[in-house]
Amino acid sequence: MSTYSYANSHRREFNAIQDFYSNYMETLDDERINEWPDFFTEKCLYKIISRENYDENSSLCLIQAEGKGMLDDRVLGILKTQKFGPQRSRRFNSGLKISQISNGLIHTRQNVLVIQSLLDRTSSILLCGSAYDQLFWEGENLLLKQRIVVADTDVIDHALIFPI
Amino acid sequence: MIKEKSNWNLNDTALVPYWIYTDPDIYLKELENIWYGDHWIYCGLEIEVPEPGNYRTLILGQRPVIMVRNSADQISVMENRCAHRGTKVCWNRSGKSAELTCPYHQWTYDLNGNLMGVPFRRGINGEGGMPKDFKTSDHNLRQLKVEVVNGVVWASFSIQTPPFREYIGPKMWRHYERIFSGKKLRVIGYNRQRVDGNWKLVLENNKDAYHGALLHAFFATFGLFRPDQKTAMEMDESGRHACITSIMASGGANAVASSLPGFDASLNLQDPRLIQAVKELSGDETMGSSTIFPSVILLQQVNSIQARQIVPRGPGSFDFIWTHIGFDDDDDEMRERRVRHANLFGPSGLVSADDAEVIRMAQQGFEMSASEGYALSLMGGRSIENANNQASESTTRGMYQYYRKIMEI
Repeated sequence: MSTYSYANSHRREFNAIQDFYSNYMETLDDERINEWPDFFTEKCLYKIISRENYDENSSLCLIQAEGKGMLDDRVLGILKTQKFGPQRSRRFNSGLKISQISNGLIHTRQNVLVIQSLLDRTSSILLCGSAYDQLFWEGENLLLKQRIVVADTDVIDHALIFPI
Repeated sequence: MIKEKSNWNLNDTALVPYWIYTDPDIYLKELENIWYGDHWIYCGLEIEVPEPGNYRTLILGQRPVIMVRNSADQISVMENRCAHRGTKVCWNRSGKSAELTCPYHQWTYDLNGNLMGVPFRRGINGEGGMPKDFKTSDHNLRQLKVEVVNGVVWASFSIQTPPFREYIGPKMWRHYERIFSGKKLRVIGYNRQRVDGNWKLVLENNKDAYHGALLHAFFATFGLFRPDQKTAMEMDESGRHACITSIMASGGANAVASSLPGFDASLNLQDPRLIQAVKELSGDETMGSSTIFPSVILLQQVNSIQARQIVPRGPGSFDFIWTHIGFDDDDDEMRERRVRHANLFGPSGLVSADDAEVIRMAQQGFEMSASEGYALSLMGGRSIENANNQASESTTRGMYQYYRKIMEI
């Protein structure tokens, strides 16, 4: 077991990353979906992939965006063309860890949990999994270069509309 | 509580009573007459079990089964239920094994489901054990009838089911061959989705071209499926299977598309690679959707090809399992393109997520007035015939004509 902690040796960086994720989750939870692509750099990779596909090295994702343009297109779909019932989703992250810092890229890992609330139903778990991200500093700002959410959840309850 | 037949106009399937989507007795009869009757049920692709001993577990109707490549290099499908205590023999979704052993008491079966070994069959130190007249051959895993057709594995619980090609008929065969020509396939990955709706609704949904451009604003907005584009809806002789094929119109949004409620011509994709397709299949059609009754939808749109398997879970719920398919000789660009285009499909699909939502809302409507309401399928009249436009619900009427016959209602 490695006992080295980037969180201890990079305390200020770790705090900034925690802030970054708080803002990221808040933006999505508050349904400011049009601001979501701003957390990413122009050339980025975003994926939500099932554990089944991830473990079998199958490339199929639930959502995949190669670059900010596709993130924008996903937002346009959600806001303008998709049809779905009234819903709220709320994200809970835990166990945030900096797993590696190399070539200016900060690799993080954390658990993610998304709770969905639909009308006339009790709230339920929409997705449980972990996120493997790569961030970097662009001037004063942290940006995501890559975010890969691996979903333990085997069966999706209806539809996963909003990103994580 | 099956309702009186008088609740369903005897000569018509343009009105479908809500109770066939909600009644538990109807559902049980569907399992017996349809899912466990003389029908082929989709199991998967031959390449999912590439070598002897490779297996996958799945559910047909509500029965767990194992699809395995046996030592003779043939595919067998058998019930995943130990002859001893009914326990599932294989617990993993897939694996490789020379024999199948039930974890509970280590009863062991060969790759055809024949019972090979029963621990302590002759007792321990001369005591206990199986009776003398116990024969292992009386306790095999139940084998299903199997046919592998151009790389796709089909199974049936009935030995009377006719050969697959006869089962789907010549019209559907043409569409089947368009995707499954015999060319070696590969799996791109799976999606799994649970929908609170009756399983028949998803067949209706995929027989229904009428909703294509109306519900799916993404299709209409970006020109992939316009209400006036050339569309054919064809059925087999029985009406149970159907295929929609369509040819994308050139010129983007025209007057018909612009007349759609909510249509916004100002919308543009930032990254058009999301929908840019390369022609790969025969014919002029740019999309094809075949419903092979009762278990699967085989669909191609842009460069995404999927088998959407239906697993019923009671009158008000089904699982929808998507196998995204490519070809063995796809180059890297095509592999990437298929994954990119898959953004339109599955539980997060820019298009398909709409369908799950609509089915859920339909089921809620049925359950609130199950004994009095009817779903209408009147577009294009009351007759059952192939159609060459999207304003027809003839193929849904066709399915219910067959349904009433097989269900004796």
